[in-house]
Amino acid sequence: MTAAPKNDKKGLWTRIIEVWAKNSRLISLIFLILAILFPIVFNKQYYITIAINCLIFSILSLSLNLITGYMGITSLGHAAFFGVGAYTAAILSTRMGFGFIATAILGTVFAAVFGVLLGLPTLRIKGRYLAIVTLGFCEIMRIIELNWMSLTRGPQGISGIPKVSIFGLQCVKPIQKYYVALVLLIITVLVIMAIMNSRMGRAISAIRDDETAADAMGINVFKYKIMVFSISSALAGLAGAFYAHYMGFIDPNAFNFDQSILILSMTIMGGMASIPGSIFGASVLSILPEVLRVVNDYRQIVYGLLLAIMVVWKPNGILGGFNLKHIKQRLDLEKLKKKGSEEKEAENNV
Amino acid sequence: MFLQQIINGLTIGSTYALVTIGFNMVYGVLELTNFAHSSFYMLGAYISLFTMTSLWGRVTREGFFIGLICSIIITGCLGAAMDKVFLEPIRKRKGAGITALLSTVGIQTAINNSVLLIFGTVPVEFPDVFQLGKFYIGSNTVVQRIQIAIFVLAIVLMLILSYLVYKTKLGAGMRAISQNATAAQIMGVNVNHVITITFFIGTAIAAISGTMMGVYYQRVDTLMGASVGLKSFAAAVLGGMGSVPGAVFGGFVIGILETLFAAYVSSGYRDAVAFVILMVVLIVRPSGFFGQKSVNKV
Amino acid sequence: MSEIILKAENVTQRFGGLVAVNNINFELRKGEIVGIIGPNGAGKTTFFNDITGVYMPTEGKITFKEHDITGKKPYEITALGMARTFQNIRLFYRMTVMENVMVGMHTRTDANLVDCILRSPKHRKTEKEAEKRALEVLELTGLLDYRYQYATSLPYGLQRRLEIARAMASNPDVLLFDEPAAGMNEQETADLMEFIRKLQSMGYSILLIEHDMKLVMNICERLYVLDHGNLIAEGLPEDIKANPKVVEAYLGAGGVITDEDA
Repeated sequence: MTAAPKNDKKGLWTRIIEVWAKNSRLISLIFLILAILFPIVFNKQYYITIAINCLIFSILSLSLNLITGYMGITSLGHAAFFGVGAYTAAILSTRMGFGFIATAILGTVFAAVFGVLLGLPTLRIKGRYLAIVTLGFCEIMRIIELNWMSLTRGPQGISGIPKVSIFGLQCVKPIQKYYVALVLLIITVLVIMAIMNSRMGRAISAIRDDETAADAMGINVFKYKIMVFSISSALAGLAGAFYAHYMGFIDPNAFNFDQSILILSMTIMGGMASIPGSIFGASVLSILPEVLRVVNDYRQIVYGLLLAIMVVWKPNGILGGFNLKHIKQRLDLEKLKKKGSEEKEAENNV
Repeated sequence: MFLQQIINGLTIGSTYALVTIGFNMVYGVLELTNFAHSSFYMLGAYISLFTMTSLWGRVTREGFFIGLICSIIITGCLGAAMDKVFLEPIRKRKGAGITALLSTVGIQTAINNSVLLIFGTVPVEFPDVFQLGKFYIGSNTVVQRIQIAIFVLAIVLMLILSYLVYKTKLGAGMRAISQNATAAQIMGVNVNHVITITFFIGTAIAAISGTMMGVYYQRVDTLMGASVGLKSFAAAVLGGMGSVPGAVFGGFVIGILETLFAAYVSSGYRDAVAFVILMVVLIVRPSGFFGQKSVNKV
Repeated sequence: MSEIILKAENVTQRFGGLVAVNNINFELRKGEIVGIIGPNGAGKTTFFNDITGVYMPTEGKITFKEHDITGKKPYEITALGMARTFQNIRLFYRMTVMENVMVGMHTRTDANLVDCILRSPKHRKTEKEAEKRALEVLELTGLLDYRYQYATSLPYGLQRRLEIARAMASNPDVLLFDEPAAGMNEQETADLMEFIRKLQSMGYSILLIEHDMKLVMNICERLYVLDHGNLIAEGLPEDIKANPKVVEAYLGAGGVITDEDA
């Protein structure tokens, strides 16, 4: 966390953040409007496909941020829960004819259940070991998906998953799918904001900063870890369910360790414990490979180096290391004090 | 049959152990999960191969050793350079440990794809320079002498590194940093220097391991690091993060159990064995077998 | 005499072969300020951790307001009305002063996940009350002006005070302070003493571990002295000062304890 900036010499970045903090609602609204207008202005399948990717990965990155950024538990296996949601949706819709709403709900619930099942025995394990356990879980899930032929069709994957449809309305056009994804992202953002701006959010931050002290303050640390872990998994499952219907085809490769690392990269590079950060990180790392098509064969090399350079350049993530709410509170208080002292001065002058 | 499985398991276990040793040494000092380690392992094998085949236009044993030495030096320097360029700045700016982890992920991607671009996806044959041959135990248990060589190499490297970590001044510096970097600095340890040397040694060992694997399988390919990389994490945790003998132990346990599982239970799920063992062990013993137990101090 | 609020009977704590705390009997009465003193490594903090649930005592029983709390978890004990500070300050360093205090109120609020997500009236009500109470506590501890600063940006003395404020926010009956004056200068220590007296007058019962003899002798009504895990003396400050066993433990045979000794 960066300390409060000195008043006499504010950098440009500090100023930008302060303006942002003061008008955060307005700026969020502007971004929302831009997001709504985007597919209308850039109505090309190529752009919309990339945009939908950004939205899906934003949900994943945000949900990972809940445990990794806000709670301080590194997960190297987030793609596993994405996969649980996707497979749940794929299997239920292709075999039992469930619609998107039903599979989205069940995918979310199943992912949450898996989160609890993994969390109950393992969340008492110390952080650095836990990271490897989540990695292991992701591998185990992938191997199950590869081998349980009768359920998942193994490496062939599941194809013919019906399109996203809501109350009988089929989303055929990319633009329709885009809006569904946008709604899911908004739901995710609202859920995370609601949690973090409450006593639960304070408990979560407290656990991140000091578990022992949090325990001494009456917080049931283990219960919170399980709860946050399952909420985070649930949101990843929601993204997975949408992904399955959106792609129409899934196979285990979409949910492997590399995918987990990609999601983690988005979260960290964007900014830990930052909602705009996660969305930004997810968008950058989704768009970057497309932009890097110009360098062709060197694409992955440049991508890797850029990732390494970006984290060296901004170790807290590009939009990390500051908390808009805290900045606004501090600024408001400063203003109030200034006003108070000015009034006093005025009185003295009289 | 059973003996054969054990021998195969020990060989695979040696592979894991060789990758894990270097990884675990870096982990012990920095608590950094170095994702690029398995890439250096692969890169080391390619450099050895490339050097030995381009020397004199033919393959000789001398050429092999020159190749190996080149590989050790080049890979080691690259490892040290990675620390200097990407990781040291993060330490200096007090970035979270997870940031450094991500930086190694980026480097892993860059190295893997560079090798892919230069050498292509097709596996390259690694000439059998030693032609050690094989012998039989009983009527149907085959032992290749190279298997014994790999096993011995794992043990020897373990002993050398243990000596280095536990008996030398450099090792004392490493252990001091792993306990408390600030205190070590105050006590006169040149922290960044020691860390860079640790990276040099860790990646140099990766180069040796990769080259030996090339000799054993008689081929190298760009995915050889990826397949053992994740399991080496499991081996490291199993043995206790940061412990040199633990790394070898973890590698052997995983290698043997996984081979036995594949032979007698199911081959499809063999790759899951390492992680299932890992989870079970951690649930029972949260610090691994050789890891230090930490007491919650308040 | 007022009723006993916290009681330890024959508490022993072993770590492997080491006996850190040996067969200690202890009681704290309502409204009292009691101190536990002793040289370094005497087992004070270990005993403290036994009471607050960080460790599980190997033997013995701890009772708090008629509840048997032996082996209960820290968060359960806090919920019953006991709150503590730490020897090495443990604040939530990426949270503001106000948020730190509001975390202290965790056990006194009960909006659950659904309330929080749906922003139910219950959530809003508890949030409002928590804010109001936090401001009260901050006012009382003189931290109100710092409320939107990060906890770590406070000067040392105020960080200690914030720990106390955070503990008070849980609305406890008993406050436990683990070396509250550690690292403080004379003025800060004097302020702290005054503040602890104020807390007593507000009805809190207080148990503190301290090295600073001046502080202990001045504000504690009764003292327990530990040495090598054993209870070597208990009683009024004046008696403790004159107790040869205590003097020996602190200064070796033949010493005299003055107010200046820390």
